[in-house]
Amino acid sequence: MSENKPKIVCFSCKFGWGYLTDEATLSKQIENWIPIICTGKIDTTDIINAFEQGADGVLILGCPEGDCHYQDGNYEAKKRVHLLSRLLEPMGIEKDRIRIELGTDPEGKRIPQLIKEMSQDLIKLGSSKTSAAVGKRPAKEMIKAKGGK
Amino acid sequence: MAKPKVAICWLGGCGGCDEAVVDINEVLLSVAGAVDLVLWPVALDFKYDSIRAMKDGEIALSIINGNIRNSEQKEMAELLRAKSQIVLAFGACACFGGTPGLANLTTKQDIFDWVYKNSPTVVNPKGNVPKPNSRNNGNELTLPEIYEQVQALNGVIDVDYYLPGCPPPPYLVMYAVSAVLENKLPPKGSTLAPHRALCDSCKRNKTKPERMAITEIKRIHEVEATPDTCFLAQGILCLGPATRDGCGESCININIPCRGCFGPVEGVVDSGAKYISALASILDVQSDADMTRLTDQFMDLAGYLYRFSLPTSILKKKRS
Amino acid sequence: MTEKITINPITRLEGHGKIEIFLDDKGNVDDAYWQVVELRGFERFCLGRPVEELPRIMPNICGVCPTPHNMASVKALDDLYSVEPTPTAKLIRNLHYNAFMVEDHLLHFFILSAPDFVLGPNANPAERNILGVVGKVGLEIGGKVIETRKRCREIIRYIGSKPPHPEGGLPGGVSRGVTEEDRKWMRDTADFTVEFCQFALELFKQTVLDNKTYLNLVLNDAYKLNTYYMGMVDDSNRVNFYEGKLRVVDPKGAEYALFDCHDYASHMGEWVEPWTYIRLTHLRKVGWNGLNDDAGTSLYRVGPLARLNVAESMYTPLAQKEYEAMFDILGGKPSHHTLAYHWARLIEALQAAEHMQRIVNDPLLTSKDIRNMNLKLGKVGIGCVEAARGTLIHHYEADDEGRTTKVNLIVATQHNAAPICLSVKKAAKAFVKGPEVKEGLLNMVEMAFRAYDPCLGCATHALPGKMPLTVNIREPNGNLIRTIERS
Repeated sequence: MSENKPKIVCFSCKFGWGYLTDEATLSKQIENWIPIICTGKIDTTDIINAFEQGADGVLILGCPEGDCHYQDGNYEAKKRVHLLSRLLEPMGIEKDRIRIELGTDPEGKRIPQLIKEMSQDLIKLGSSKTSAAVGKRPAKEMIKAKGGK
Repeated sequence: MAKPKVAICWLGGCGGCDEAVVDINEVLLSVAGAVDLVLWPVALDFKYDSIRAMKDGEIALSIINGNIRNSEQKEMAELLRAKSQIVLAFGACACFGGTPGLANLTTKQDIFDWVYKNSPTVVNPKGNVPKPNSRNNGNELTLPEIYEQVQALNGVIDVDYYLPGCPPPPYLVMYAVSAVLENKLPPKGSTLAPHRALCDSCKRNKTKPERMAITEIKRIHEVEATPDTCFLAQGILCLGPATRDGCGESCININIPCRGCFGPVEGVVDSGAKYISALASILDVQSDADMTRLTDQFMDLAGYLYRFSLPTSILKKKRS
Repeated sequence: MTEKITINPITRLEGHGKIEIFLDDKGNVDDAYWQVVELRGFERFCLGRPVEELPRIMPNICGVCPTPHNMASVKALDDLYSVEPTPTAKLIRNLHYNAFMVEDHLLHFFILSAPDFVLGPNANPAERNILGVVGKVGLEIGGKVIETRKRCREIIRYIGSKPPHPEGGLPGGVSRGVTEEDRKWMRDTADFTVEFCQFALELFKQTVLDNKTYLNLVLNDAYKLNTYYMGMVDDSNRVNFYEGKLRVVDPKGAEYALFDCHDYASHMGEWVEPWTYIRLTHLRKVGWNGLNDDAGTSLYRVGPLARLNVAESMYTPLAQKEYEAMFDILGGKPSHHTLAYHWARLIEALQAAEHMQRIVNDPLLTSKDIRNMNLKLGKVGIGCVEAARGTLIHHYEADDEGRTTKVNLIVATQHNAAPICLSVKKAAKAFVKGPEVKEGLLNMVEMAFRAYDPCLGCATHALPGKMPLTVNIREPNGNLIRTIERS
């Protein structure tokens, strides 16, 4: 991470964040932005992969409590983030590097600000530790659809 | 017709996988009669030079157990790969890195500092440290170099088949060996074990409530676990949902929960990450504070979830 | 110019290692080194783990001796939690433990060491293995060795889960009890095992002791080391594998120390050399005195011969008779003849088998009272057992949530590491003379350490004669996967 610009990957739920602005416009303002349908869809591997590929932080923006279009996707996401950050701490990834915020922002105007705030917090945290891991990248996870056991 | 040549070699293993081969008992006699064993350091007197002298591909099957932590292990893995047609990664260490893979949560320096300096029983006034090259009484001595990171077998060579388990149970060993001998192998890269999760064959599965809602985590020694009820339903951490099936529930049968020695379920690379999702879905918490309380009760998520598979997880090793 | 002979890897033995022998220009052995080539770091990567997980992690130190690590670990937890296991739990643990001692000792004798003894050290290497042994003693014996091992391991599986990696073990108890129904087959196994152990000793006598050449080899100075000895004894100074005090006798047999395992650190020191990854344990109060067995030696040995040297008697009657007979022939106690380890090993196997018999007939074995739940977490827990190879110590410290903060392990092979180096050196000097060295003589050097380490062994290669065999491979639920016919 350069001292000025931590790389933050931002997942945000389309139901609650930025749906009134077109994606192309917002994309110009938010680097590494992944709009998705429901934060409950975020797999823990997605988050770990972000770090493995050089992210300094992951920000997840979900819908307010009780307002999830799919009932409890945001609740599940929150639990996952909580557990995952504990899992990754001994791996050298501080728990403040994964953040989840529940709220709503139809125009998405707050997103760049939230990212900026997180960047500043990450700068205070110091450079993220580097990975010295050797070995091949794991093959992409695949569930092959076929018969048998 | 000449019998196919088979080599069995241990790298950074503990010997348990070699015992597992012996555990096929009298069947070993049949197998031994059908092949030409050319290497098995634990039991036969062939030295490495006899392998070096072979032609590439001369060995039909190399069964390799153990992970890679030093230069000699890497060298032997590469040597056997060159001389073999098929390489089978045998056991959790070869497949995923195994228990010693937990050393990836610490550093080589930390280990050396304790082992050769700080442990309460070390007596080392000269500050000696084992080195790849040293001299003693005028003689040059060498040791393999210990690497910074533990790797599974496929971190250094191409592996054709995987047989997981710590160690693999006898029936799967027999299955794998006979599949090779009879040339009835699945596509390369396959794992020679069932595809689904342990829960699928576990007798306790049917005792799971329709919706699990854990509010309290219990540690196995602090409770008297009910022998016939799903551990997770009792609030006891069990890795069954994220662990490949095939062990025969050896731990469940003695009333101890699963710790994942069969590695990830088919199609999954990082079982720890997957388990987090499963675990999250069965926790019932009302607030952030409640979530923190419950997460605290887990004590050591990394150690539990990556007990056998840290070297092949996405991150592989602690960052520093 | 020094010529160097390398034996790599050392074989018919556990662990990864090599031997380097240096010859001077007259072809005599100038120096020889036994080097251990790996290190994994269990003492460090166990930090941060919940303590109750350690009995599940520690057996991965050695898949040949996993039960001792599991047991020492569990006992360390008993200590850490100040909890005494219930009488039934203790019986079950001892059943597990003795079953292991038998199968491991027998395996080592028949598969690893017997080829050197029964066939002779200079035998053709192609025959100097289980094949040759069985050719001499018969196919039936090979089958019986496999059978005994299999049946003992069934007991281990029942109590501890997978035999090469038992994962059971709880402070204050065991996780699974024994039913009356299961007592029956366990009793059969114990009886079968006692009988086979007696037979094994008889076999040893006929093939080794009654053969002058082999007996002379046992008594040969090249395989003699005048060291101290350490082993665990009960209150009556009898051999005990599971619990007791540690006793050390000097090379003349006089008691040098008797201590509780909590004092281990004041007695045991670990020396470091740059040419091997294993630490060389020695008597700390004597102080490291290098690799020698002269009057100032600080070296002590552990394992079967050591235990028999240290104790004043065995725990069970049949084993006791054999113990007396052995020292008669060896010329008194303590015996410094390294090759006698093989003999002592068989006597210990007999004791373990007899002890199993006692346990399976104990009415308390099947009680349901298998857990003492009165756990009081302390700061330090130290557990000590006699592994097949020797004294084993697990020392843990934990924080007030039961998270591991410190681990120190003294593993059996370490106590013998320096003596092994010395034994190898002595044997090399006695038998090797360059520039051309016969393979059999190099094997005699390897024999110097084979005596110390019971290891994985197995029946390999074809056995003479054909065994008609149909094997059905079944899944654990009984489904038939495949049938193999041996043609």
